[in-house]
Order: sequence, then structure tokens, then C-alpha cells
Amino acid sequence: MERRSLLKGAAGSALAVSAAGLSGMAMAQQGKKILVIASNQDIPNFDPHIATGYSASMLLRNTYDGLVRVEGNPPKVVPHLAASWTVSPDGLEYVFKLGTSARFQDGTPVTANAVAYSFRRTLRLAKGNAWMIAGVVDPNGIEATDVQTVKFKLLKPFAPFLSVLPWQFIVNPVLVETNKGADDGQEYLRKNLAGSGRFKIKRAEQGNLYEFERVAQPWRDGGNLDGAIWKIVRETSSQRLMLARGEAHIAVDLTSEDMDALKDRPGVVRVLEPEFRTFSIKMNTAYGPLADVNLRKAVSHAFNYQGMLDAAGYAELMVGPLPPGLMSDPKLKVPRTDLEAAKAYMAKSRYPNGGVKLTMVHVTGLEQQRQWSLVLLDSLKKLGIELDIKPMVWPDMVASTKTPQTNADFFPVYQTGNYADPDNVAYAAYHSSRNGNWQNPVYKNPKVDALIEKGRGEIDPKKRAAIYAEFQRTVVDDAPDIFGVLEKRRIAMRDSVQGFVFTPVASNAIDLQKLSLK
Amino acid sequence: MLAYILRRIVLLVPVLLGLSMLVFAIGRLLPGDPVLLAAGPNASREEVAALSVEFGLDQPIPVQYWRYLTGLLHGDWGRSLQTRGPVLEDLKVYIPATLELVAAAMLIAIVVGILLGLLAAVRRNGWIDYAVRLVSLASISMPRFFLGLLLQLVFAMWLGIAALGGRFPLTGSPPPTVTGMLTIDSLLAGDWSALSLALQHLALPAIAMSLSPLATITRMMRASTMEVLQQDYVLTARALGIPPAKLLFKHVLRNALSSTLTVIGLYFGWLLGGTVLVETVFDWPGIGLYATKSILTQDFMPVMGVVLSIGTMFVLFNLLIDLLYGVINPKVQLR
Amino acid sequence: MNALLHPEAGASVASGAAHARREAWRRALYRMRQSSLSMLGLALVVLLLVLAATGHWIAPFPDHITGSIDTAMRFKPPSWKNWMGTNELGQDVLSLVLGGARISLFAGLAVVLLAAAVGTVVGALAGYLGGWTDEVLMRLADLKLTLPGLILAMAVAAALGAGTVNMVLAISLGWWPGFARLVRGEVLGKREEVYVLAARALGAGPVRIMWRHILPNIVSPVIVKMSLDVGFAVLTVASLGFVGIGVKPPTPEWGQMLSTARGFLPDYWWAAIFPGGAIFLAVLSFNLLGDGLRDVLDPRSRR
Repeated sequence: MERRSLLKGAAGSALAVSAAGLSGMAMAQQGKKILVIASNQDIPNFDPHIATGYSASMLLRNTYDGLVRVEGNPPKVVPHLAASWTVSPDGLEYVFKLGTSARFQDGTPVTANAVAYSFRRTLRLAKGNAWMIAGVVDPNGIEATDVQTVKFKLLKPFAPFLSVLPWQFIVNPVLVETNKGADDGQEYLRKNLAGSGRFKIKRAEQGNLYEFERVAQPWRDGGNLDGAIWKIVRETSSQRLMLARGEAHIAVDLTSEDMDALKDRPGVVRVLEPEFRTFSIKMNTAYGPLADVNLRKAVSHAFNYQGMLDAAGYAELMVGPLPPGLMSDPKLKVPRTDLEAAKAYMAKSRYPNGGVKLTMVHVTGLEQQRQWSLVLLDSLKKLGIELDIKPMVWPDMVASTKTPQTNADFFPVYQTGNYADPDNVAYAAYHSSRNGNWQNPVYKNPKVDALIEKGRGEIDPKKRAAIYAEFQRTVVDDAPDIFGVLEKRRIAMRDSVQGFVFTPVASNAIDLQKLSLK
Repeated sequence: MLAYILRRIVLLVPVLLGLSMLVFAIGRLLPGDPVLLAAGPNASREEVAALSVEFGLDQPIPVQYWRYLTGLLHGDWGRSLQTRGPVLEDLKVYIPATLELVAAAMLIAIVVGILLGLLAAVRRNGWIDYAVRLVSLASISMPRFFLGLLLQLVFAMWLGIAALGGRFPLTGSPPPTVTGMLTIDSLLAGDWSALSLALQHLALPAIAMSLSPLATITRMMRASTMEVLQQDYVLTARALGIPPAKLLFKHVLRNALSSTLTVIGLYFGWLLGGTVLVETVFDWPGIGLYATKSILTQDFMPVMGVVLSIGTMFVLFNLLIDLLYGVINPKVQLR
Repeated sequence: MNALLHPEAGASVASGAAHARREAWRRALYRMRQSSLSMLGLALVVLLLVLAATGHWIAPFPDHITGSIDTAMRFKPPSWKNWMGTNELGQDVLSLVLGGARISLFAGLAVVLLAAAVGTVVGALAGYLGGWTDEVLMRLADLKLTLPGLILAMAVAAALGAGTVNMVLAISLGWWPGFARLVRGEVLGKREEVYVLAARALGAGPVRIMWRHILPNIVSPVIVKMSLDVGFAVLTVASLGFVGIGVKPPTPEWGQMLSTARGFLPDYWWAAIFPGGAIFLAVLSFNLLGDGLRDVLDPRSRR
């Protein structure tokens, strides 16, 4: 049977050839330094004043610029488009002097006018990162006093103002105005860039990958990267394997198990750092059985914190509403697993023997959330409470937070540290203005609101600490959330990546500026 | 012959129309409000109302169907909520990927299946025969996604000789797109390293997909070969000392071809719609993965597009098979 | 006097037919016992069904099936305590596999039963009534067959929402055409049989004819198809679970377990291999049984 042996021979040689090709894998494509990042999050929208999410942040921070940048650990605000700035003593006026070297990707200089235009657009559209400056910056108080100078008038003092500026990106007003259309340029900026960043987009394949290419004359010094690829890899284990084999340089979505598997792997550097990202399970304080604070306290004391921690891997338990490093109070007493105390609270509640069924939602496909909802189910069993777990797509989950009636009893939420300030967590997660929104669906306490507002307006650090201490005590007393975990940031890199400095703010939105490949 | 072909082609029209009606019906019957989904969670009531009109949902059903049909013919297969782009554009990219996978799987199934079937028939009731029959049965029962995982585990993770997933290495330079099938495009461009890389990525998923048709082809081949072997002329030849191989070749091959065609026809549609899980396991960007992602995000226009295109391809393909039958086996009466 | 016109004659013709059927069954069972593969299939299927039914009682860690966890015991490899090791939450994989058997097997059976029921009704109507009904129904079935079943089942199940019942409904929706075509063919064949004509002459209505005369005679090909299909129904259920559609947590389901465990390969391989193997075993058993039944009940279709 000659045919068969011929076929076998062909197959054999094909495999041999391909094995050779595999090891000589095209990492250095024609000698260019292209950094490959594996992530499971897509970048559907390039508009800097609309898009949110860490993948979008990654794209935006590398293709656009802000007045300042955030670097280092602990995070510091450093000059970028703005070379220097002054703040008025009452904290109501900021004046920025721009550097002279910044250029948009079409060659035109970045002027104060562009800055003013961009901030006005952000506030006008009121989406994306606008929430960071909404109600803070006076839309009529943004003024380009000369070509290099921009003045901001604030409606009230806002301590973290500088920290939110890295996420307010400056667009090229000429390009945006030319392509304004009927929607303020949203359709245009969704797919096109109008920035001054170090990189532009060479190719964009939705759901698959985004390739960055360094502009011909970047206006700032940086690393030696010629380009980068943000590759969508859905499975974290695939990300891990790609990294281990050198097919990717950085993997940003690894689980604790993945990190363990990479432990002594040659050529791999692991980044396991604490940061400000919290995970809590928010309870429906406005509707349903959990409107009863005693039931909430019972649940908080029945919850298996150790189980959650075990399932989380590289993480710490939260010690209150604020993460350590953001003015958290070390003396704060938070609920821990204590079945006696839980039963005592149950006795005081409307359901002393349980017998009630509660609902929990979580994002379909997010393995970690699925595991934690099972931890909750197991914990609630001990109180005689049944848990109905409903996996949902994120848009549906977001839609369900609109009213207390549609909001589930338990709603799991990651609160990202966009800027390194307690206000970031406090405002987003506990201020009643965020009700009807996924960050804080229903919790409302006027006393807490007042404390938050006072805190963000107070410039003196010692006074701020006292305000936030009281804030934390009040929130813990209300028991609106099951305070969960602070996951350590888990990133793995090839050792050929140089110049990476971990910053606990948006660390997975890889900043290409200073990175190099060996 | 020509009349037959023309008639079949004309008959295509009502079939395809029926298909479009069925898909339209399914799309409308699916629970969930497409307007709310398209509008997103932050839409105001006016935006929702405006979208309703745009979608034409206030019109009576036949009108909606007419809009749908004319849209299809004009290349408007809807928009994906995810990509905000036209579904047809997405399909143009994803369909060749799946076709490549299915074609490779069928190729493996045919080649290996015919050989194994021959072998089993020739060595009837020997241990090879039993082994082949058992393995066939096991192959049909083996879940493709599990097999895919096992293949990945053994060949990609442990042995490292095949690629883990995707169609082509990230930083490699793919050949210029002609058909959208990387293997063919590489061949057309004469780019041997690209071909080898593409094959490396195609190997495991194609093997995983091939097992079911392989088993069936093996069985059919074995049965039809055994039948031929028992024919009088073969026995006579054997008795006369003439090696049956030559006679075997012609008759067996003719039988093989027609039963293979049957199997291809049977399996093609099934495979097209059945690549979902293998594409998921191997991150193969085809219509299966596209449909799955869309389903999981409640984005139904792409799903309907995928369903319609698979149905259409199946119908067209079956027509092709029927016509080929007539060519291969003139005994078949083409009415 | 023409025997056929006498009411009792009709009955005796019918009972004669019934007797013949019983004989056929007896012969079939005899043939089945001869085939070792079919007996193996039967044994395995019975074993699986028993395991599925008693899973919750014989499982070493029954609480895990209803959602209890033991995070201190995460990712333990197979041992005497946990024959199949533990998963990412410390749950015993063996218990979960047993628990999952109930869902997978019974859902698979339910799908086939439902599809067979619907398909039989449709096919019977089409075959018996003929004409326009036949045309329309069969065109519909044919068209449906060109559409990808798995994708549609996924879409419908996702649209209906999580839950076993929804999943079963969604899958059966795509399964009926095969049965419809089979039953139609059979009904067409049986429609002109002597005893049917006799019954009609005696004034029996279509429903009675269908019920008493035709359907009992087409039971065997339908059963053959059902048994052949159960395996694939179980596979489809697992496929939906693999993609994340179908049962709600904490219900264990083989496909979903396999999907989760994927992320832990190759280090914690037991969490994937055992559920995957369970799916394979279940499908294989039903296929063996189905093949055996086909050989025995429908020898015409012997390859």
C-alpha cells in the first residue's frame, strides 16, 4: 500500500517542518520590537470621552495624552502635556502651563485651546470618565488664556483633581470639528484617532487584536518599542500558555492558579502587587428582605470570608469600604465569620429562621464571580436562606440596577481605582448620586453623602483622614455590602520586557511609553 | 442534463425564500426585545421609540418580512451590537475560516476513512477489523470539544508540536488574502513558511472535527468493500489466480466515491453548524465562535446571519453533490 | 358472508396483528442477546441510569452537589478520599459527576421524548392526511434540517434564560424534524395496509386508526431512532453547558464542569478528564445500545 506510506511520510515531514517553524516563531518580525499583550477584554470604542474599561484605558493612554501622567508606587502625578501648574489657596482655581513640544499626530501643536475644547466636550457628552469631573469643574470656567495656558475654575474644592486628570484626554479640535457629524464626533472618534500619543493604530480587528505603531516623531522620549499588539485571548489559561511559550510578552488576566503555574518558569517575571481594586457584594438596601439592616448584618457575619479568600488566591480581605493606602482606618472593626453573631442578628430580623430565597446575579463567564457566588450560597445555607444564582451578561446586569425593584438582592462589583484617592471609592461606591448605576445601585444615606462631599472638598490631609474615618464607621454600621477582597494585581511578563514599573492605578492598562524589549 | 441543472437551480429559489422566512420567523419569535438591546441600558425613552421605528417594528409582519428580505438581497444583514459593524462584513471574514476547518476535517476523514475501511474489509474479522470497528464507534461517541481539549493537552501543551490556538501566529506575516483560507492563500502566494504555520494551527482542530465523519466513512467503506469482495467476478478472479487487486481498485473506488459523496453531503451541513465548540476550544475565528459570542451577549442579528448563511450553504452544497452524483454514477436517473 | 365486514372479524384481524407484533418483539430480544456489544451497551445504560437516579444518595459528598464548598481542599489530586480529586472550590469531583449524571441523562432523555412526541404527531398528520398538510409540514421539516441545530438550540436556550427546562425545550425544538420525517414515511407505508383499510371500511375514525393500528406498528423504528438519538441529545446538553448556557449554578453539569476545568489544564487535569470521560461514556453507552437495538429491531437497515 504505497499510498498510505506516502501519506504518512508527507504528514511526518509537514510536522517536522512546522515544529521547526514553531520554535523559530516570528517574535522578531523583521527585526521590529513589537510587544504582544494578551487580554480578554475588547476595545470596541476609541472615543476618549466615551470609552471606559481597562482595555479602552490602555488604548487611550497610548494614543492620546492628558495634562499629567500618573507613575510609580505610591502613585505620583507628573507633568505631561502640562509642564507646570499652580493652584489657588482656596483650591478653586488651577492654571496649567503647557509644554511647547507636544504635537498631535497630524503634526499640529497641542494648544491650550485644544485642552479647553476637550474638557468642554467631555462635560457636554457626560459619558466615559466625565463623572470624575462632573459637578467639580465649572463648564463655563474653562479658559485658554493664551496659546500655552489653560485656566480651570472649580465649583468647589476637589482634593483629588490632579489625580483624575490623566484620564481626561486631549483631542485634536480641528479633526473632531471637521468630522463632527450630528453627534459631536462620536461616530468618527469611535473608530478614528485624533490624539497626540506616542502610538497610532496600525490595524484594528474587532474582537481579535489591535496593533499599535509608534509615530514617526514622538514628542517625548520613551522606550524602544516600535509597536505593540493587544491580542484578545479569551481563556486565561491560553494567555498563560502563550506567555510561557513566548508568544506573548505580557498577560494581564491571569488567575491565581495561572500565577502558581508560572512560578519558577524560566524567562517569566511575575507581578503580584496589592492595589486599590476592591470586590464587594452589594446588598439591596432599598427593596426586598435585605432592606432590613439586621438581616444584612446577619449575612455579613455568616459569610465565609476564608472561603472567599481561598478561592481568590493572591488577595487580602477588605478591612472596610476603603482599601489600605487610601486613608483606610486600621482600627475599624469589620464583620468576620461568626455564626453566633449571625444568628443573633437573624433573631432580631424579620426572618429569624431564614426560610427566604434571595437572588444573586453575576457576570456570565467570569469564573471568579461564579466561585464567589457559590461561596455565598454555601454560607447562606447555614442561615436557612436559599440563594438563586443568575448568570447574566453585563449589559443586562447594568440595566437591572436602574430601579430597586429590578435590582437583585446581591450584586457583585469590582471597584477599580481609577485615581489614587479615597474619593474614587467613596464617591463611586457610596454616594447616592450613583444610584440607579452599577457602581452603587441603591445605597443611600444622607449622612454618608455629606461626609463624602466634605471629604472631597477638604484640602488639609489630617482633616480629610478624620472625615473618612467617620465615613467608614458609618458605612460599616449600615452594612450595605459584604466587604470582600482586594485582589492582588496579577500580571506575568517575559523577562525581555524592560522599563515596567508597577503603579497601583490602572496597572493592567499597560502604558507603553517607557517600555522596551530586549 | 442541462435541463436538469436549470430546473434544480430554479427550484433553489423557493427553497431559499422558505429559508429566509423560517429564519425571519425564528428571529422574531426569540424572546427579548431587540430594540432595548440595541439601544443599550442607558437609552432614553425617545431613543428607544426612535429605534423602534427604525427597526420597523411597528409595521405588520409581512411588511417587516419584506423589508428583511430586500435588506438581505441588498447586503444588509443587520448590524452586530458588539462590533457595531455590518454582519455581512463579519461573515465574509469568518465563513472562510470555518470552511477551511470543515474542508480540512473532511479531507482527513476521507483519506484516512477510506484507507481504514479498505484495510478492515480486506482483513475481515481479523483484529484490525475489530479494532477499527470499535474505534469507529468510540469516535462517533467522543465529544469533539473533549477530544479537542485532549489533543491540545497532549500535542500543544505537553509535546509542544502543534499550536495552541488561533489560525496564525500573532506576529507572523500572513499571506495576502485571496480566499480567506490561509492554507490556500499561502499556496497561491508560494509562501511555504506561512503554509507550514497555517497547517500547524489547522492540524488539531481539523483532527478533532474529522473524527465523526471519519468513523462513518470507515464503516461505509468497509461495508461496500466487503460487498464488492463477495461479488462473483471477484471470486472467479481469485479462483483463476488473478490478483483481485486490480478489479477491486476500479469497483471499490467507484463505490467509495459515491458513498463518500453521500457522507460529505450528510456531514457538510452538520459540520458547518457543529464547529462551535471546537472553535471555542481552539480560539478559531470562524462563524461558530462568532455565533457563540453573539449569543452570549444577546446580540441576535449576527446569530440569524450565521444561521441563514449556513442554511444557504447547505442547500447549495447539496445541489452540488446531487449534480456530482449524476456525473459520477451515470446509473443514477436524473429526473 | 365477507369476514371483513363483520365487526368481530375486524377485532380478530387486529388481535392477530397484535400477536404477530409480540412475536416480533420476542425474536428481536433474542437476537439482541446474541450481540455482545449491544448487551454491553444495555448494561452500561442501565448502570448509568441507576447512578443518575441514586447519585444524590451514593455520592460520598452529597452536599457538594447542592452547592456546599470546602475551600481548604481545593485542587486535590485523586486519592482515596476523593477518587476523582477535588475542583476549584474543594468539591468532590466524583460527587459532582454523579450529580451531573442526573441532569445530563434525564435532560437528554427528556429532549428525545419531547422531540419524538412532537415529531410523531407532525409526521403522523403529514403521512395520514397527505396533500397540502403533508407538503407544508414536510417542507418545514426539511428547511429546518438545513439550519444548524446546535447554534439554534443555543440561541433559543440563551433567549429563554437559564434553567434545565428551558434548555430541554430549546434543544427539542430543533430535534423534531428527524422524527417527523421518519414517522411520515412509516405512516405512508402503513396507510394502505389491509388492516387499516379494513378498519376504515368499518367506519373507524382517523384518530382511532392512528392510535390502534398504525402507531403501534411503527413503534420499533421510532424506538430505534430514539435510542440512537439519546446519546447525541446528552452530547448537546453537555455542549450547551460547555458554552455556559443551560443549567443554573450550583447544579453540576458535565459540560459546564469541563468548561471551567479547561482553565486549570494541564496542572489540575482531573477536574476536566473525569467530566469529559463521563460524557464520552454516556454517549458511547447509548450509541452501543442504539446500534444494538437497530440491528435487532430494524435489520433492514443493517450496514
